Amino acid sequence: MAVVAIEMARTRKNEQFISVALATATCTLLGSGLPTPVDAQEEPSWNINTAAFYYGEDGGRVQDFSIKAIAERMFVDDRVLTLGLAIDALTGATPSGAIRLDVPQTLTQPSGNATKTVPAGEYPLDDTFRDIRVALTVNWQQPFGDTNLFNVGASLSKEYDYLHVGLNAKVARNFNKRNTTLSAGIAIARDQIDPEGGIPTPFSSMLDVGDLSNRLGTDSKDILDVVVGVSQVVSRNLVVQANYSYSYSDGYLNDPYRILSIGDSVSGDTIPRTPPPGVEGPSHEYIFESRPVERTKHSFYTQAKYYMNGKVLDASYRYMTDDWNIDSHTVNLRYRWPLGASKFLEPHLRLYSQNEAEFYRLSLVDGAALPAHASTDYRLGNFDAITLGAKYGWKTRSDNDMSIRVEWYQQSGSVPANLIIGNQAGRNNYPDLNALIVQFSYRFSR
Amino acid sequence: MSSRSPPRDISIRSLQQGWLGRFQAMGSPCELLCESRTRSAARQLTNLVAAEAWRVEDKFSRYLSGNVIDRINSAQGEPVLVDDETANLLDFADTLYELSNASFDITSGVMRQVWNFDGSDTLPSQEQVSRVLARVGWRKGRWVRPTLRLPADMEIDLGGLGKEYAVDSAVLILRGHTDTPCLVNFGGDLAVTGPPQQRAAWSVGVEGVAEGRADRMIELRAGALATSGDARRFLLKEGNRYSHILDPRTGWPVADAPNSVTVAADTCTQAGMISTLAMLRGADAEIFLDDQAEQYWCRR
Amino acid sequence: MKSTTIITATLLLTCSGCASLGVEPWERDVLAKDEMQLNADPVEAAIDDHIYFSKEASSGGRGFGGGGCGCN
Repeated sequence: MAVVAIEMARTRKNEQFISVALATATCTLLGSGLPTPVDAQEEPSWNINTAAFYYGEDGGRVQDFSIKAIAERMFVDDRVLTLGLAIDALTGATPSGAIRLDVPQTLTQPSGNATKTVPAGEYPLDDTFRDIRVALTVNWQQPFGDTNLFNVGASLSKEYDYLHVGLNAKVARNFNKRNTTLSAGIAIARDQIDPEGGIPTPFSSMLDVGDLSNRLGTDSKDILDVVVGVSQVVSRNLVVQANYSYSYSDGYLNDPYRILSIGDSVSGDTIPRTPPPGVEGPSHEYIFESRPVERTKHSFYTQAKYYMNGKVLDASYRYMTDDWNIDSHTVNLRYRWPLGASKFLEPHLRLYSQNEAEFYRLSLVDGAALPAHASTDYRLGNFDAITLGAKYGWKTRSDNDMSIRVEWYQQSGSVPANLIIGNQAGRNNYPDLNALIVQFSYRFSR
Repeated sequence: MSSRSPPRDISIRSLQQGWLGRFQAMGSPCELLCESRTRSAARQLTNLVAAEAWRVEDKFSRYLSGNVIDRINSAQGEPVLVDDETANLLDFADTLYELSNASFDITSGVMRQVWNFDGSDTLPSQEQVSRVLARVGWRKGRWVRPTLRLPADMEIDLGGLGKEYAVDSAVLILRGHTDTPCLVNFGGDLAVTGPPQQRAAWSVGVEGVAEGRADRMIELRAGALATSGDARRFLLKEGNRYSHILDPRTGWPVADAPNSVTVAADTCTQAGMISTLAMLRGADAEIFLDDQAEQYWCRR
Repeated sequence: MKSTTIITATLLLTCSGCASLGVEPWERDVLAKDEMQLNADPVEAAIDDHIYFSKEASSGGRGFGGGGCGCN
């Protein structure tokens, strides 16, 4: 046995000798001296980018645990198939839109099956916000000739009360020795909303437990997005891009769970109400919100990436304006700072501000005529937001990329003076938001 | 073969990331990819490379009369004095004969007289094979540098070495002439002078079984790639695929040779020889390749 | 919309001036780096887009994709 093993070992050594002998013989043949060592690598077929992330607002509000993966399968000739999967587990509560009062409030849950009582002085939150969401995307990239690139894709997402289906396509063409790229894309989507208990009729009252007479079932909205853009290499170290986007939504644009308090015209306090005997129901007057059935948005976005001796500054600005009278500004700054050959630190600052929608209200007024539309959704309100954080990245032993990102997101808003009535003035009316974002990423190729 | 005087002109085409010079040599389409700044610079480099390819072809082709190969093959048993370059190649062939246990043999070319790899099922008889095998065997000749003496009915054919040698020679010439990154590709045997400037690496497609379509991409920054393979030349009889790699020791095709072997090595000559030696191992090709230091892609 | 006209005109003017800007093909070494790509981290971009779409009134701008959700 040992003899066989030695014999085999000697044969293997002889085999390896062939390479060496061949190298020597080739050197002699070519008479060129030692050649540069070969450097060849098979191009990976797959690039996979994964992330696990946590988003958590304080005050018992929304928490999201999520896993995301994007897998790119590369084919020869720069054709790429991209598959995306995202799974989110959402819990926590979100402001319902009712104002805070100095007395407790009781509201019927969105399902219509139970009530919830909110202590005095607290924001009535809707805590039935428990959901699992799954989203899938697929995209095919196909080059045409040397200068054109075509993308086509589809998206699908599902959660307990929501279904989204979409298609998108994009073309891009480069000019001027690939220094300029023009692109245009279009996306259409149909979203279906099927909330617990059914969609409440806009501006209908919040009813007692068990009464679903104001419910309409399901509804949907159609969305069209168009983007045109140009990217330009300015110099060896600077590349910029500018985009214009147009977005049109048509259909049910309300949040089916959001309500408005109906307040007294002088004190501003919500009008109390007594449910019929033997029945549970709201303690005050609330009605469901009503938004327009159309929305047109225009966005202008510009970004620059500037390389300064190993460090990269990424700055972008976006201006959005829509026909709900909302204007917003977003500034994003990232500074990537390499630490040695394989690590980096990237601080990030995001500044955002928006003004309220034309139909944004803090509450409605008892006795006054109903406006055409009204919503107390804080996300349509007047606020500033800031995100501050940093990402730290490193290369693993197998030369793959890992990173961890921690950020704080804070929204602080205010209600315009002309919307505040009576006692509402003494309270902090905007449900300010403080959230922690933590993301862990891993990117590898096969 | 169709290599009887194809036109010796070169064409230059502009690519997104450089220039492509093309010409015909040694029976194959030949290319030079270079990152020259101007078309005339690309043309100048392509001229250099084509000149070297045609020089090697003219000197070592077995189809041309009057060159050193012709003198050797028509010497009728007389000794032939050869120049340094030819002597280098014969020394190299001699080393390969030893390293391959006589399976790489430059005198085996005469076997093509009984083997016709046209995809049909016409196999020669054992008698035909034995007769031609009598005229094969490097050790039947006498090589003592600078003189080669072959028995009267034997011939040598440097076709198994010539292309890879020409690639390496062209690369050396380019390196001595310019800093421009270039890739020299003679019919799928290729080498680079260095990494490209405009992207991270040269992207080379390796042809899969489906003819003409690359199904794997290799990123090359330095060195060479060569492929041995029978993707196009074989005989099919009773379901057995007879590859065109003949074993000069038996006169028959190597059994269970892979469809193709691509090897990455420091020079094209090394890459070509490792892939050829692997093919000659037949069923043991992968075992042989695993024992070598070079990266390889083997398709069965 | 007036602002649309202005912005479109600006984009077009930028494009016409583009012919004089840029680099030669052999000067693209820095631009080829991963960290210099305009969309260097698509997963992080998708995560951020989703967070801010759910918590603010604006969305996208850079492009689109991924789809909607019931959170706005």
